[in-house]
Amino acid sequence: MAEMTRRERLLAASRKQRADKLPFFHYWRHSQIGYAERECRNRGMAFVWERPSFTTEIHDVEITERKTVSKGMTVYRRTYTTPIGSVFVDERREPGYGQWHGLRGWKDVLPWEVERLIKGPEDYAVVKYIVEHTEYKPDYFPIEQAKDWVGDDGIVIDFHPHSPMQMLMIDWVGSEEGRFFIHHARYPELVEELYRALSKSREAMYEIAAKSPADVILGGDNIDGVLVNPRLFEKYFMPEYEKMAKVMHQHGKLLAVHMDGRVNNLKHLIARTPIDIVEALHPPPTGDLPISEALSLWKDKVIWVGMPGPVYELGTGETKKFTLNLLRDIIPGERVCIAMSTENIVSNDNLLMVSSVLENADLPLTEDKIDKIEKSLG
Amino acid sequence: MAEGSYLQAVKEAIVKLDFAGVVKATQEALNAGIDPGKVVTEGFVPGMVIVGEKFEKCEYFLSELVVAAEVMKEGMKVIQPHLKEESVKKLGKVVLATVEGDLHDIGKNIVGSLLKAQGFEVIDLGINVPPARIISAVQEHQPGILGMSALLTITMPKMGEAIESLKQTSLRQKVKVIVGGAAVTPAFAEKIGADYCAANAVEGVKKCVQWATA
Repeated sequence: MAEMTRRERLLAASRKQRADKLPFFHYWRHSQIGYAERECRNRGMAFVWERPSFTTEIHDVEITERKTVSKGMTVYRRTYTTPIGSVFVDERREPGYGQWHGLRGWKDVLPWEVERLIKGPEDYAVVKYIVEHTEYKPDYFPIEQAKDWVGDDGIVIDFHPHSPMQMLMIDWVGSEEGRFFIHHARYPELVEELYRALSKSREAMYEIAAKSPADVILGGDNIDGVLVNPRLFEKYFMPEYEKMAKVMHQHGKLLAVHMDGRVNNLKHLIARTPIDIVEALHPPPTGDLPISEALSLWKDKVIWVGMPGPVYELGTGETKKFTLNLLRDIIPGERVCIAMSTENIVSNDNLLMVSSVLENADLPLTEDKIDKIEKSLG
Repeated sequence: MAEGSYLQAVKEAIVKLDFAGVVKATQEALNAGIDPGKVVTEGFVPGMVIVGEKFEKCEYFLSELVVAAEVMKEGMKVIQPHLKEESVKKLGKVVLATVEGDLHDIGKNIVGSLLKAQGFEVIDLGINVPPARIISAVQEHQPGILGMSALLTITMPKMGEAIESLKQTSLRQKVKVIVGGAAVTPAFAEKIGADYCAANAVEGVKKCVQWATA
């Protein structure tokens, strides 16, 4: 087979077609730039860029921000004032906030929400008003520009916010102190009403994404079967994935969903979803589902494997051993791509180690080929 | 109605995750003259034990553990004014913290609630707790157990830093260290010198009970 470009390789595997080699990539937002990154790219590492396809405008809502002190902390309070009431979030910001993360570590440029938008039952109606007055508008320039820049060295994916129920779980009500679960138990009607409103509002966003220049749409959930238990997944997540996939597939797009947690208890439900790519699936020890079992259960899906951070913590020796074992687990290597990290920055040494294993992972993988790779590494 | 029936109603309200039911059943038990400590030990605690068992059998999930703990808190609000300190057994002290840089606290809070239900005194330091604060809390409270939680791989090393700092004091030998969180593995726990890596809240609390009653 003629050698593929990194873009061709990633897309072939993602479309369940035969690739020449096992595709591996780094997310641009996590990647260091320098000698290790250059060496890894020379070894075949691709880039995946996440860029949005839309902008939003909120109508008839006044948004103001001020610096204040709350619970002994300096916070930035953003207040949303609507005709039916107001809600606010408090953010704690590190000194690097507001600077492009390429100039700093990305860790200190992200705000921490220390007070969520929804604190009590009285806030639901206000947030629903905001949702119903949010307009999604197409803006394809960020994706077009990134595609132009990255060329054949990778792919650009359209990155979406959390799906409706996970917006409530993680962003608006929040999981701190188990708050979402408590709200869901105490105020089920309010939670469901807001979920339905957001699901309806998101239809415009899905249409825009489906017509975007991106090949893959990443539904930005963060699925972990401990938090999103099977009952919640089946009731609130699966219908949304079906709705997303229907419109994406009509326009030839692939739907990916971020599932980097423990999903063993969701594996049979995931099999029933129309998701094309299970993105960031972490094998044990971080996850609880071996990739071979996932591939066997999800025959119509592609897995973008996330390399587990705890393995990197154990050093390059363990990283090499883990990567070789991973190759053995996924023989013959079809329907798989490897992400160097879906969580945070990988050290140069670990990045070089993983790429030294993967650069020779020609497909189809066999035990012999993997033994040869192992021997070549000494 | 017999005493056992009142206590059974309290227990069932917790297992059924019934906020209104637990308040009603607790008040009725108190009105019937049942000792408040007994309502806790023979109503709340067995209720939480059943919830834990259901969790282990995958009949209940984390969400139900959280809600059950909240339901128990609702019942405790009714009983607290009547509760004498000595009427509830104490298994010892546990200091809990989500380590520095990490804001995730569901697991830690569940552990705290289950530990309290088992009779531990829990000193919860909250989230984003630097190693130095953990050490000073151990020095101040002299717990038998220190529990640390982290969800993010980038914050896990803070657990190791806390254990290293403990070793610099004379306290390490006096306190058992249990760690947990989605990304924390037994190999990592061993590497940083923790005594135990909890697979989940229920299992971690069982280990704490085992240590405290050994």
